Amino acid sequence: MSEAQATSESQPQPGASSVSYEGASKRYGNSDALAVDQLTLEVPAGEICVLVGPSGCGKTTAMRMVNRTVEMTEGDIRIGDESVRDKDPARLRREIGYVIQQIGLFPHRTIAENIGAVPQLLGWKKERTRARTAELLELIGLDPELGERYPAQLSGGQQQRVGVARALAADPLVMLMDEPFGAIDPISRERLQNEFLRLQAQVRKTVLFVTHDIDEAIKMGDRIAIMKEGGKVEQYATPAEVLMAPATEFVEDFVGADRALKRLALMRVADIDLWEAPLAYVGQATAEVRAKLAEPDVEVPYPLLVDGERRPLGWLSERDLRAETVPARPDSPLGPLLDRADVMRDALADLLQGEAQYAAVVDHEGRIDGVLSVEIISEFLKSPEAKTEEHSAVERPHG
Amino acid sequence: MASLALPLAAVGEVGEGFIQERTGQVCQQKPSHLFCWDWARENIDRYGTPTLQQLELVAISVVLGFIVAFGLALLAHRRRWLRPPLLAGTGVLYAIPSISFFLLLLPITGRSRETAIIALSAYTLQIIFRNVTVGLDNVPASAKDSARGMGMTERQVLWRVEIPLATPEIVGGLRIATVSTIAIATLAVFVHAGGLGTQIYGEANLHFPTSILISIVIVMVMAFFFDAILLTIQYFATPWRRARAS
Repeated sequence: MSEAQATSESQPQPGASSVSYEGASKRYGNSDALAVDQLTLEVPAGEICVLVGPSGCGKTTAMRMVNRTVEMTEGDIRIGDESVRDKDPARLRREIGYVIQQIGLFPHRTIAENIGAVPQLLGWKKERTRARTAELLELIGLDPELGERYPAQLSGGQQQRVGVARALAADPLVMLMDEPFGAIDPISRERLQNEFLRLQAQVRKTVLFVTHDIDEAIKMGDRIAIMKEGGKVEQYATPAEVLMAPATEFVEDFVGADRALKRLALMRVADIDLWEAPLAYVGQATAEVRAKLAEPDVEVPYPLLVDGERRPLGWLSERDLRAETVPARPDSPLGPLLDRADVMRDALADLLQGEAQYAAVVDHEGRIDGVLSVEIISEFLKSPEAKTEEHSAVERPHG
Repeated sequence: MASLALPLAAVGEVGEGFIQERTGQVCQQKPSHLFCWDWARENIDRYGTPTLQQLELVAISVVLGFIVAFGLALLAHRRRWLRPPLLAGTGVLYAIPSISFFLLLLPITGRSRETAIIALSAYTLQIIFRNVTVGLDNVPASAKDSARGMGMTERQVLWRVEIPLATPEIVGGLRIATVSTIAIATLAVFVHAGGLGTQIYGEANLHFPTSILISIVIVMVMAFFFDAILLTIQYFATPWRRARAS
């Protein structure tokens, strides 16, 4: 287990409970084969456990046994100390957040009513529900005015956010998420994943997350359970462990040949040593800038134009430097702009997509922090470090 | 006199005077003369009671039919195997030719308003049952899944999610049922249940259609009126459907 997880575990989790599968099995009807075979694993409170595997591996069934929308045939599942079998299913489900791929918002209820659905079932006072709804709309970054709209008036991404807010409404002990971002276009999906991780950093729920996408599993999971047809777990470990030491051939195949590349998904830009670009300010004498460029240990051969707040504006070209002073409008546009908190894999994608060799990296206030280059990444991938050492980036969600 | 091939149970109410009235001084009977305004003006008050009777028959029959059909549809929603027999059963009722249905009931329930209401309600069953069923079927599975997943009981899923979402189809069924009942209710006259049929099915009207035309207009206005009411109800009951367009 990584250091990061040790720290996250040491924090108290008042609003979350651990989930323990204790030999839980499911057999549908008189079928010979088990859908889920003697599943035993523990998800510590406040962590995201991703159940991942090919279709038909029983991952959704395994997840649904927790809220008893699928009844297990053998074994037990405990939330905290309590067996799910001991509770009335409807009551049990009100304590468990539930998000599905098709979102399943109620088309006939407003956004606010959708979010307030579980509180309503729990008999909360109207005032309390209203306050909670407003709080959640803010948490997911939706305009409070949208509360009066109907689901059909929102975009797919907004609807999915509302789906998550609805699941969080009554502050559940556990969240079940069944391919929650599966029906969203790739660009919005990435944004929603990041948003959810940021949200999770605040709410720290115990999350069971089902997906068939190993990349999503690596990105979202504190732990990943890789499942195989017949409902067997092949490996249950942190994403880094799964990538570095696949337990079986099946896991190795499932994770894919590009394991090193996938590890980039576990890193953030801040985790790698960035290069420094010579900085240039508007109105500065170009001679000074040229002098900086001439220094022997210069890492980036182009000067980066920044404003008074050290916010990057663009790259200066040879032609720009031929003038007396640094112009206010640089010749070459800034190109991709990265944040220190960006996931490395996304940063590489931005570089490749922008057909740029360098990308300026800024801190949360937008000030220049350094420069990332394709070369830095490829050096990292070649280094033995990439294959062995754990990175602090596994510490997710960052906050 | 008995040139009409219908059982003229109703004619008694109209009587000889009626014919004379129409062929008297006010309006000369001419084959080309479909509508006699003078007669209509002088006799318009004779349509008051039949119209009210008709309204009453329709209202009671549709409400009764709705209760039965809605109940059956909910039953068939829970127990799917009940659906084919119920669909077939209500279908058979719907297929009985209207007048014969009234006449078949005569020996059992006699000449009464009840007889008319039974027959009229029976005709609404098929349409309402079918529409409620279709409406419940069309509720998105994801909405039901998330409703159960968040801890709604089966009853809550039905009343808070499925039925509200099926409202457009349910009201659609009610509209068809109501309009067709308004038309068929004119046949109530054959079991002495009154209604506008009293002003339509008279021997005299064969040669003097003014009364038929007036009755038709009343029936049409009534149908339009009921339809408008139901549409208004649907409009206010399903605000989310309007929101979609904006």
